[in-house]
Amino acid sequence: MTYFALLFIAGFAGSFHCIGMCGGFACALGPDGRGAGATSLRHVLYNTGRLSTYCFLGGLAGALGQLICTALAPGTQRAAPLLSASLDVGQRALAVIAGLLMIVMALSFFGLRGRHWVMNGFGSSTLVVSLRRLLGRHGFAAPLAFGVLNGFLPCPLVYAMIAQAASTFNVLSGCLAMAAFGLGTFPAMLVMGGIGRLLAPSWRQRGVRLAGSFILVLGLVTLSRGIMPKMAGHGLHLPWHFA
Amino acid sequence: MTPPPNALCRHCLLPVGRRGFMRTVNGEGCQFCCYGCCIAHQVKSGSGDASEAAWFLVRLGVGSFLSMNIMLFSLLVYSGAFNGADRRVLPTIHLLLWGLATPAVLILGQPFLSETWSQARRGRLTSSALIVLGSLAAYGYSTLAVFQRGGHLYFDTASMVLMLFTLGRYLEAAGRARASRDLAPLLAAESELATVLEDDQEQRRPVREVRAGMLIRVRPGERIPIDGLIVEGSSHCDDSVITGESRPIAKAAGATVLAGSINLDGPLLIESSGSGGESRWAQICCSVREALRQSSRTQRIADRLVGAFVPIVLALAAVTFLYWIQRLPLDQALLTALSVMVVACPCAVGLAAPMAHSLGIGQLARHGCLVRNAGALEALAGARLIAFDKTGTLTLGRPQLVDIASDGVLEGEVVARLAALERHSEHGLARAIALAAGARGIDPIPAVDVQILPGRGLRGVVHGEAIAAGSAALMRELGWVLPPALLERAGVMAASGHSVVFVGWRENASAGRARAALSFDDTPLPEARATVDALRGLGLQVVLLSGDHAGAAARVADTVGADDWQAGLLPEAKRTALDQYRARHGAVAMVGDGLNDGPGLAWADIGIAVGSATDLARETADLVLPVDGLWLLPWVVAQARAVRSTILANLAWAFGYNLAALTCAVLGLLQPILAAAVMAGSSLLVVLNSLRLERLPGPYHPSVPELAAAARPGSEPGPPAQGRSPALALLKA
Repeated sequence: MTYFALLFIAGFAGSFHCIGMCGGFACALGPDGRGAGATSLRHVLYNTGRLSTYCFLGGLAGALGQLICTALAPGTQRAAPLLSASLDVGQRALAVIAGLLMIVMALSFFGLRGRHWVMNGFGSSTLVVSLRRLLGRHGFAAPLAFGVLNGFLPCPLVYAMIAQAASTFNVLSGCLAMAAFGLGTFPAMLVMGGIGRLLAPSWRQRGVRLAGSFILVLGLVTLSRGIMPKMAGHGLHLPWHFA
Repeated sequence: MTPPPNALCRHCLLPVGRRGFMRTVNGEGCQFCCYGCCIAHQVKSGSGDASEAAWFLVRLGVGSFLSMNIMLFSLLVYSGAFNGADRRVLPTIHLLLWGLATPAVLILGQPFLSETWSQARRGRLTSSALIVLGSLAAYGYSTLAVFQRGGHLYFDTASMVLMLFTLGRYLEAAGRARASRDLAPLLAAESELATVLEDDQEQRRPVREVRAGMLIRVRPGERIPIDGLIVEGSSHCDDSVITGESRPIAKAAGATVLAGSINLDGPLLIESSGSGGESRWAQICCSVREALRQSSRTQRIADRLVGAFVPIVLALAAVTFLYWIQRLPLDQALLTALSVMVVACPCAVGLAAPMAHSLGIGQLARHGCLVRNAGALEALAGARLIAFDKTGTLTLGRPQLVDIASDGVLEGEVVARLAALERHSEHGLARAIALAAGARGIDPIPAVDVQILPGRGLRGVVHGEAIAAGSAALMRELGWVLPPALLERAGVMAASGHSVVFVGWRENASAGRARAALSFDDTPLPEARATVDALRGLGLQVVLLSGDHAGAAARVADTVGADDWQAGLLPEAKRTALDQYRARHGAVAMVGDGLNDGPGLAWADIGIAVGSATDLARETADLVLPVDGLWLLPWVVAQARAVRSTILANLAWAFGYNLAALTCAVLGLLQPILAAAVMAGSSLLVVLNSLRLERLPGPYHPSVPELAAAARPGSEPGPPAQGRSPALALLKA
C-alpha cells in the first residue's frame, strides 16, 4: 500500500509541474455555460480521460515487462514482486533500466537535461493540431476526448512513471501504479480548472523540484532492486498481499 | 537556434535553461523549456477551428477511451489477474467488456461501414470492407461468447483494429495536409475575398465578382486579390507566389501589382486591371488544381492492383479459415482469417503516389515552377534526353553587338555614327546598337534626313555628310567602295552564324566607302552553360533544335556545351527530330519558350516552357518555369527524380510489407491487433518517407555579379565558374 501511496504523492507533487503545462489546458477548457455542475463534470471527464490513458499505458508497460521477463527467464513466472521479494535476472535487468531512466528524468527536473530525445516533428505537431481543434467544442464528449489525447503528450513525468510501471512486471500492478500517479495529479488539476488561473512561477518551480525529488527516490529504489543482492521486504507490499 | 539561458519559457514561464529551444508560433518566435510546453502552447494559442475535424477528434478520443479500457481489462484477464479467488467476477468483467465494446465498435466502425456501403452500392469492394468484416466478425463472435457464457473474448481485437485503422487514417490525413502546405497559397485564389471600395463603402466580395476598373483596398499583411495599378499608397510586395522569387519589392502609386502577392507593410488602394478570374494567379490556381486531380500512370496501376487485391484477399481469408478450422478450434481459425484480412489492407499503396506528387508540386511551386499534370514529374524523371529550342530559351532572344571589324577608323566613331542613324529605326539591331553605345558611354551624334530602305538598311546625313548602314548589297547599290579585307572578315563573321551590317560614309566630299563591318548575334544566356553542364551531369543528353541557320545553331551549341544540334528546322521537322531521338534514347523532354514551339512541346514526352507570358490555359507545356528560370531546370529534374524514387520506394515498401505480413498471417503467426498495428505503421512509414521530400535542398542560383559579368555586352559570354556553384555540383554527384 505504501508503494502506491508513494506514487500518489509523487503524482501530487508532480502536478505542480503539470500545472505549468497541462494546467493551461484545464484553464482553456474553462467553465461551462450551464453552471457549476456542468463545469465540474467537464473537468472530471477531462481528468478521467487523462487517467484512462495513463492506466492504459501503465498496463501496457506492465505487460511488456511481464513479456520480457518470461522471455528472458522462462518458467519463473510469478506474481508481481514489487519492492518486497527477490528478483530473477530479467526482472533485475529491467529494474536497472527503468531505474536509470527515472533518474535521468528526475535530473531533468533539476535542470540537468540530457539530449532532447522526445519525438520530434510530424507526430507531435499532428497531436497539437488535434488538441487545438478539440478545445473550442462544447458537449461532454470533447473534454473526455481531449483528456485522452492529452495523456499522450510527451511529458518526462509520465515517461518516468511508465518506466516504473514496466518494472512491476505485471499488467495489474503497472496499471495501478499509473492510476495512483494519475489520481495524484487530480486535485491540482481540478483546482486549476476551477480557478482558471495559473499559479505563480516561483511556487511551480518548488513543485517541480519536489516532483523531481520523488522521482529520483523512486528511481534509486528501483535501481537498487536490480543491483542489491536479496532485499528483504520493508513493509512495501501489494494491497492484495494483505487480503 | 538556442535562446539565452536566462529567458523564460513562453508556456510555463519557468527558466528555459541551457537546453531550451525556439519555435515559431503564429508567426512570432517563442522560447520553450521543453517540447511538451512547445506543443501545449501551440494547442492553446494556435488558431483554426474546423468543426468537422473537431468532431472526428472527439470520435477518436472517445473511441480510444473505450478501446483502451477494453484493452486494459482484456490484458488483465489474459495475464491471469482474475484467476483463483476472483474467478466469480469474470462474467461481470465480460459483460463490462461487451458494454464498452458495443459503443466503441459503433463509434469507430461507423465511417468504415458507411464507406463500405457507399462503395458496395456502386459495385466496388474497398479495403474498408476488409476492416469492417474483420472487426464485426470478432465482435459478433465475442458477443455470442458473452451470452453463452463460454469461449474466449476478442473485443479487444475488434476495437483495437478499428482504433488503429482510424488512427492510421488520421495520420495519413495530417500527412496529406502537411504535404499540400506549399500549395495552399496557390489554391487560395478561388476562395479569396476582395475589399471593394464603392461609393466610399467597403464591401467584401468574392474575387470572381471583381471587374476591371473597380477600386480594391488591400491592408498590410493581406494578399493582393487582383492584378492592377496602385492608385494610392506605397508598400513592399512579396511576389513569390507568382514569380517564385521571395524578396520584398518597393511599389508606389502608378506601379502594377500582381494578384497573389502579399502586401507587406502599407495600405494600398488598387485599381483592378481585369476581372478577378483572369489574373495569372487564378490561372495558376486552376492549373494546379487540375494537376492534383489527375493521377499519374503509376498511380493508376497501383489503384487497379488495389482494386483486384480486395477480392483476392477475401478469398484467401476464406481459404485460410477453412484450412485452420480442421486443425484448430473455431475462434482460433476465425482469428487467423481475421489477421489475413486486416494485414492485407492496402492503405499504404493508395497513399504512395499522391502524397509524393503534391509535395513535389508544392516544392516546385514555391520556386515559381508550375506542374500542370501529376504524371509530368514522373515522365521528366524518366527522360534521357532534353531538347532545347534555341531562340529565347538558351539565348537572350535578341541580338547583341559581338564584333566590329573596322577599316582605318576608330570603333568608337563607328558606334557613334551608327547609333545616330539607328535611333530612327525600330529594327531589332537598332536596340543592340543603342545598348552597345550605352555600354561604351558614347553619346549619339544627331543625324538628319534618315531614310529606311526596307530589307537593305538605312541612310542619312551626319555632320553634313551622307552615311549608310546595311548589307553589302546596299553599299554596292550606292556605288561605295567595299575594301576586300573588310569583305573577307565579314565573310568569316557570316560563316559563324552572325548577322553582319556594313557601315559606310563619305568624308571630305570624297567617294563613299564602307568603313566597318559589325557582327550581331543572339548570345546564349549567362547561365546556359552551367545549366547544360548540370543537366549533362545528371546523365541527360542535351540537344539543340533550332529554326535558325546552321552556323548560329552550331555556335550556340558549342558555347553551351550541347551534345548535338540540328538547325533550320520547321515546327514539323522538330517533331520528326524528336521522334528520331525518342527511338534512340527513350523518353525525351523539350524546353521552349512556349510561344512559337507549341507543337514541339506537345509532341515531346514532356514539354517545358520557360518564362512564358502566354495564357496558361492554352499552353501545351506540362511544366512551366518562371521568367528567367532556365537555371532552375537541373533542380527541377533532380526534384522530379526524387519524387519518382520516393513513389517507387513507397510502392515497393507497401507491397513488399503487405505480402510478407500476409504470409505470416496465413501461417497463423500474426495476431490481428499486431497486424492492425503493422498496417497503421506501414502507412505512417509511407507518410514519413514522402515527407522526406520536404528536406531536399532548394535550387542554387549563380550569384548576381557573376552573371552580370558574364552578361556584359561585348565580352565573351563564358560560363560561371563551376567551382562556385555547390548546388550544381551537388546535383551532379
